[in-house]
Amino acid sequence: MTSSRAKHTDEKVIIDIGEVSQSFTVGDETVSVLKKIDFKLKNKTFNIIYGPSGSGKSTLLNILTGLQKPSTGAVQFDGRRLYELTPDKLAHFRANEIGIVYQQNFWVKSLNVLENVAMPLYFSGHSRFEAKKRAREALDLVDMRPYEKKNPSFLSGGEQQRVAMARALVNEPLFIIADEPTGSLDSKNGDMIMNLLDRCRKEYGRTIILVTHNMEYLPLADHLLHIEDGMVKQTTDDADIQTTTDDLLLDMKRRIDRLSKERKNA
Amino acid sequence: MRNFLTPLIDKLNSLPKKESIHFYTLLYIAWKNFSSKKLRSFLTVFGVVIGVSAVYFLLSFGIGVQQLVTTQVVGDQSLKSIDVETPNSKIIALDETAINAIRTFPHVDSVGILYSFPSITTLDGGEIDVVTFGVDTTYQELSALNLINGRLLIPSDNKSIVISEAALRALGIEQPSEAIGKDILVNIPLSGVEATQTRIKDEFKIIGVIDAGSGSEAYVPSGLFDAAGVPAYGQVKVVVDDIANVDGARKQIESRGFQTTSLADTLTEIDDIFRFFNIVLVGFGSVGMIVAILGMFNTLTISLLERTKEIGLMLALGARRRDVRMLFVFEAGLISLAGALAGIALAVLGGLAVNLAVNLNAQTRGVTAWFELFVFPPWLFFATIFITLLIGLIVVYIPARRAEKINPIEALRRE
Repeated sequence: MTSSRAKHTDEKVIIDIGEVSQSFTVGDETVSVLKKIDFKLKNKTFNIIYGPSGSGKSTLLNILTGLQKPSTGAVQFDGRRLYELTPDKLAHFRANEIGIVYQQNFWVKSLNVLENVAMPLYFSGHSRFEAKKRAREALDLVDMRPYEKKNPSFLSGGEQQRVAMARALVNEPLFIIADEPTGSLDSKNGDMIMNLLDRCRKEYGRTIILVTHNMEYLPLADHLLHIEDGMVKQTTDDADIQTTTDDLLLDMKRRIDRLSKERKNA
Repeated sequence: MRNFLTPLIDKLNSLPKKESIHFYTLLYIAWKNFSSKKLRSFLTVFGVVIGVSAVYFLLSFGIGVQQLVTTQVVGDQSLKSIDVETPNSKIIALDETAINAIRTFPHVDSVGILYSFPSITTLDGGEIDVVTFGVDTTYQELSALNLINGRLLIPSDNKSIVISEAALRALGIEQPSEAIGKDILVNIPLSGVEATQTRIKDEFKIIGVIDAGSGSEAYVPSGLFDAAGVPAYGQVKVVVDDIANVDGARKQIESRGFQTTSLADTLTEIDDIFRFFNIVLVGFGSVGMIVAILGMFNTLTISLLERTKEIGLMLALGARRRDVRMLFVFEAGLISLAGALAGIALAVLGGLAVNLAVNLNAQTRGVTAWFELFVFPPWLFFATIFITLLIGLIVVYIPARRAEKINPIEALRRE
């Protein structure tokens, strides 16, 4: 399994996060959310960021999607320093090179499924014909083509997430950034989304950055990033992933046992 | 649904790729948002329609009435002519020397002269007092005489006369055509002026009859008075080459001590009155417009508030801040344009209906001529659309600024 993964991965570093810190001022207090985070991600890899709530995952994702300029540190995508781009260039970068999937999806309500999927292409300057043509192809990938005329808000959670996947894929981005995409889905739909993400990496060579709580998806990754208290607590590569997963499962088993024991004793 | 716009839309739909979103695509998204909120958009546009149609209706009425009044006052008279008189003929004479000087002024095309004297006129035993004017053909043309029979004076005429219908009637001739060719005795005493002759008394042949209302008047060639040695003209009309040069020529003539009057004076007065009148009308109409503006502001603000997430999403998906701003500007533009077009249409229909009703009513009271109480000049159409769009642009300023300042992270935060 390790060797098959290596086939898709070239050794090129495509995301380089250098000593990124982020603090917010709330009233008189300064809250440090990220403390000198430092990591590199390689091209065409599947990366999972996990950690408890409030660990700074969301802030890290906002920094990675170009929406939140970090207090200090450098964010480099494919050799370009993201936050040295002009606001327009940064918008262009988002439209062209990032695909985003959220836990809870947002839509332009007056537009149908097809045009919501075409949105990133609109913003990167494609004609409506071209954008819609490519949006149909993206909907085909997620088997949602028959729904193209529907209003996305009226679809089920699983269907919405598939359309969101199509929207993230439509601009053929370098990176797909997914923030708890399975968080609101049942396991069947969740598995399907994860399979889609896996296919994106395997078949289309996209680099995936996924934030998740669901431990069962960890084995899909090439690279794990454990964030806690705004710091990278552990990074795990290929061969060690199974061990990490086993440890985490063991840890969970111990917690379950402890809790049930406490209950019996009470 | 294919229509005449289909080729254009196809073309716009397949524009070549740019670095950022096509304006057309933004306009399309604005249109989709506008048309997906049918009731709200309708009500907002309806507000604008009321405001625009009130202003447009009242203004086209104001302009219509102004044109009616102006037409009545000006009639067939030339706006390029200036009437010249002397305040005191004993000190400043309006004589041949004076008008020869006036002829040399720049922009002066021609000069018409008039003598006027009372006369006693006799025909077939009847005798009446008639005001007799000695005119040259230039003056005659500028006087816009209303000929009803025969012809007017020509330069070769000598003992010819054009007389008013009222004078003929006083002399006992009912049919103007009967008078043509008859000889009439005219006795013009030249008292009070230092002429070489004391009177002009001669037989004149009637060549034309004019309608001068109830006035008993007659026109004879001015040469007769020149020959009788009348030293100064009663009045002179000066024609300039262009309306724009009327003021300049008047100043020059007045610098020689003469008094001038021009139809332009009256027109300026009419314009002044109607300017005030129109401002009052627009003021009334603006009450509707203010309500429309508030409605538009309300709609755009609500649209902003309920689309905070949508706008955050667009920014996250690669919209530039100015794209978001333009989206709102386009939406305001759509509301304004739809409101302006429908408002103008409503006002024109209303104006035509009122005009028809007033005309039909007037005809039952014996008015035969059709008149236009409402006028819809093209400039008013374009000005209304331009101003409504401008208002839309001002109204959308605050919502658009707020939209472009939306922080996508805040907007897309999980609930």
